[in-house]
Amino acid sequence: MLRKLRIAGILLIFGLVIEALSLGWNTAISFMSFAVFSGLFFASGISLFLYSLVSSEISPNNN
Amino acid sequence: MIFPSTLVFFLIGASILLILVVVIRPSITASREGKIVAFLALFVVPLVAAGVGASEHMERSEQTRFCLSCHIMQPYGRTLYVDDPSYIPAAHFQNHRVPADQACYTCHTDYAMFGTIQAKLNGLHHVYVYWFGTPTQPIRLYHPYNNRECLHCHDGARSFEDSPTHTAMMGDLKSNKLSCTTGGCHDTFHPVDKLSQAKFWKRTE
Repeated sequence: MLRKLRIAGILLIFGLVIEALSLGWNTAISFMSFAVFSGLFFASGISLFLYSLVSSEISPNNN
Repeated sequence: MIFPSTLVFFLIGASILLILVVVIRPSITASREGKIVAFLALFVVPLVAAGVGASEHMERSEQTRFCLSCHIMQPYGRTLYVDDPSYIPAAHFQNHRVPADQACYTCHTDYAMFGTIQAKLNGLHHVYVYWFGTPTQPIRLYHPYNNRECLHCHDGARSFEDSPTHTAMMGDLKSNKLSCTTGGCHDTFHPVDKLSQAKFWKRTE
């Protein structure tokens, strides 16, 4: 679970960094890079975090 | 004064710091408090940061500079500076009948319910066609220009209502049976093919 949390955190940091960079310009490319790349990193980071919660609940090691 | 974009950057910075706490020391999640921190850092805060960022981008996408950031739109942007009052967009832009920093959006949005969403979806379609398709030259509107967009500002305005020409056809104008852009009326927009012969207005600083 800890490894998944780390990876989720790193993915979210990538998403946030791309968001910050994209806000440095006001162009269609910056908007699309935010929508596509940031969105992808946010979605995968949050999904991985939620998956880590679910998988830790059902892990036999936690019993 | 703190600008909204400054707040977004602050939020992004704070989010990164909070996430780093979990990334560097994931073992904090063993305690109840640590679990709450992880939930905030890896779920709540990124969602808020993404939402605020999306809102900021949406706001910025209404700016003239944003529309003209695609090369294909630049000649259309130049028509805003043509020194000829018969060019409807130029006359509106130069006389601040529309906000200069939102000139494209003000006339090309849809003043109906969900019009803003429709405008954003159209914008995404523009980007798709620009990168993955073949844009028509010259660019064409998806639908004939609706009088509703003109009347959003002009309806009720004295110069519009008092004009005998408008009065004679007011019903047809308001019901969109007769377009404001009919030939012989307000029919000069963005003739990009005539830019080489045009004289341009230079703003005095």
